[in-house]
Amino acid sequence: MFNTAVVIQSIVSGLLMGGIFALFGVGFSLTWGVMKVINIAHAAFGILAAYIAYWGLVLYGVDPILSLIVSLPVLFFAGLLIHRFLIQPITRSKDIVVASMILTFGLAIILENLMLVAWTSDERLITTSYSSKAIFIGEIIIRVSSLLAFCVSILGIAAIYLFLHKTRTGKAVRATWQDPEGAALQGIKLTRVSMIAFGLALASAGAGGVAMAYMYSFNPPAHNLWLIYLFLVVIVGGVGSIIGSALAGLIIGLITGLSGAFFPQQWINVLLFGLLIVILLIKPEGLFKS
Amino acid sequence: MKKKLFIGVLVLFTCFFLSLYAGQQSPVHGAQKPIVIGGSLPLTGTYSATGKWVERGYQLWAEEINGKGGLLGRPVKLIIYDDKSDAKEAVSLIEKVITVDKADLLLGGYPGTACTAVMPVVEKYKMVYVSMGGHMVSFSQGYTYSFGGPPLMGEWWFVGFFEWMKTVPADQRPKRVAIFTMNNPIGVSFMDSIYKGCKETGMEIVIDEKYNLPLTTADTMIMKAKQMKADLLFASGMFPDGVMTIRACKALDYSPKAIAQGIGSVIPEWTKELGKDGDYVFSGTSWHYKLKYPGNDKVIKAAKDKYKEDEPPLYFGFGYAWMQTLQQGVEGAKTLDQTKIRDWLRSHEVKTIAGNFKFDSKGLPKPFAYLTQVIDGNVELIWPPEMRTHAAVYPKPPWK
Repeated sequence: MFNTAVVIQSIVSGLLMGGIFALFGVGFSLTWGVMKVINIAHAAFGILAAYIAYWGLVLYGVDPILSLIVSLPVLFFAGLLIHRFLIQPITRSKDIVVASMILTFGLAIILENLMLVAWTSDERLITTSYSSKAIFIGEIIIRVSSLLAFCVSILGIAAIYLFLHKTRTGKAVRATWQDPEGAALQGIKLTRVSMIAFGLALASAGAGGVAMAYMYSFNPPAHNLWLIYLFLVVIVGGVGSIIGSALAGLIIGLITGLSGAFFPQQWINVLLFGLLIVILLIKPEGLFKS
Repeated sequence: MKKKLFIGVLVLFTCFFLSLYAGQQSPVHGAQKPIVIGGSLPLTGTYSATGKWVERGYQLWAEEINGKGGLLGRPVKLIIYDDKSDAKEAVSLIEKVITVDKADLLLGGYPGTACTAVMPVVEKYKMVYVSMGGHMVSFSQGYTYSFGGPPLMGEWWFVGFFEWMKTVPADQRPKRVAIFTMNNPIGVSFMDSIYKGCKETGMEIVIDEKYNLPLTTADTMIMKAKQMKADLLFASGMFPDGVMTIRACKALDYSPKAIAQGIGSVIPEWTKELGKDGDYVFSGTSWHYKLKYPGNDKVIKAAKDKYKEDEPPLYFGFGYAWMQTLQQGVEGAKTLDQTKIRDWLRSHEVKTIAGNFKFDSKGLPKPFAYLTQVIDGNVELIWPPEMRTHAAVYPKPPWK
């Protein structure tokens, strides 16, 4: 029924969208992999960064990407504090996964309500001078805002990857994640490394939140919807795998885009979550977990 | 002597306290016990922004009625609980209002899911419930004490649009229609008026798809509509998917003759956040502050004076209108007997700021919806002609 332009457009839009999901999911995957903390508040911190970007733009005309200069350090230090005062005490718990989920669920609720008090539940939309601009390649369009958000995602993922593979602290994070006891015997301070990983994850949530806000409207409760995609990215990509999360994001975007081209829209979630079930059955550890 | 003095002082004190008592008691005897009107609204949580406006509409009505001497000569007292945007909580609270607070009258809830859940409860207790309802399905359960005065009916949403479209010369009407509707009860309810209207106006439906919320991308949908040369787009969604659709239309330079939107475009954020890109979008509503019905001037003034809002929000007006309906039912029946109020409402016309209504056996007025269009950042009334505040901008100008 539709020509190749629809299919190519679907692939392009899907990949741009998937790249953003990927960045948002990387930090979530990191805390889950390194310290077995499932941070339910991850998306709520993304919304907080989106609000910082929004108000920076509305009140001072600051481009949302530049707002990351403020929001990333803020969220990084918030991550350190949260780890020190909330996460560390629950590491003594027998089941840290469940304890962390309950704790961060509470954190998400508190953050959501604080944002509701501060900024109400009105829907917000990041509208820049380039929001409606697009690059045309034949019949195919690439939206400038989506492209920028995609670039932020690629840079963010690359930065996290390089940090983990090229820096001493990053290598310590990976060592902790692969073999905590061995890492401790090598003199790596597990608490310090986990703290940095948590801060980094929260900062990446901020970058992901701003990238998401380029594409979607948001209000404080929106983090509940965004959380679904975080789980999807991590489960498909494999817990703790940075490259896995990146590829999973792209795959999810691609499936979403392509299924919209070939099937009625209401089938997208059926196909997407059907894929999730198949992956869990065949490779429960995720597609890219080594 | 001392004894006489003591008795004298005692008598004086007794008289003094008796007079005080009488002074205190006389207003009580004069003023009646207040009429308690209770219910719940989402004052916190997801729907709190809208819920607070319904509450303000109720309070405005209560202040007015008390200023005029009350309802049936008695002051009214509102008891509004916070259901935390949870329909189950709304059900528990309405039970509490009826059985513990012994409310004389009930307040309508919000949103439609809460109203739908509460309607069978009020039927059980045989108490009149005036609210927006939860679309046609909630009014088709055989309830006799629930009234949509006015209702918010998805099934009627585009009635005004097609009534107006019939006035457009046939050769200028759109020929091919693309419909994208959110896959939930609200979205599905929109379809009735779209199918009926397309059939009556001879339009061909070339795409008819539903999408699940949250919508991840609208690009593919709009690309399909463009490929199919649809010259009328129904994007029957909420705000988040609505803005994605409009942005995709602009990015893909898809400019049909008309774009009709669901609920997203009638909320203030639409023009605030989308700016010029949100212009020329059609939608429907059951109330608008520019309607030429008595009382809207008071609502506009109250919104401006008390809440610094130049345009009263939709649910401020709804809250006020529901109370007008309830008030007329009580005053018409001249009693707080719920069955008599119900019977009066079923047999008489009520006049509200949203229109004049006669209710049928379902508790609904005749199908109606006002057609709106966003023009220069304002939500203007297009149809019916006697309510028009602006001529329709049709066909939609190309994207700038």
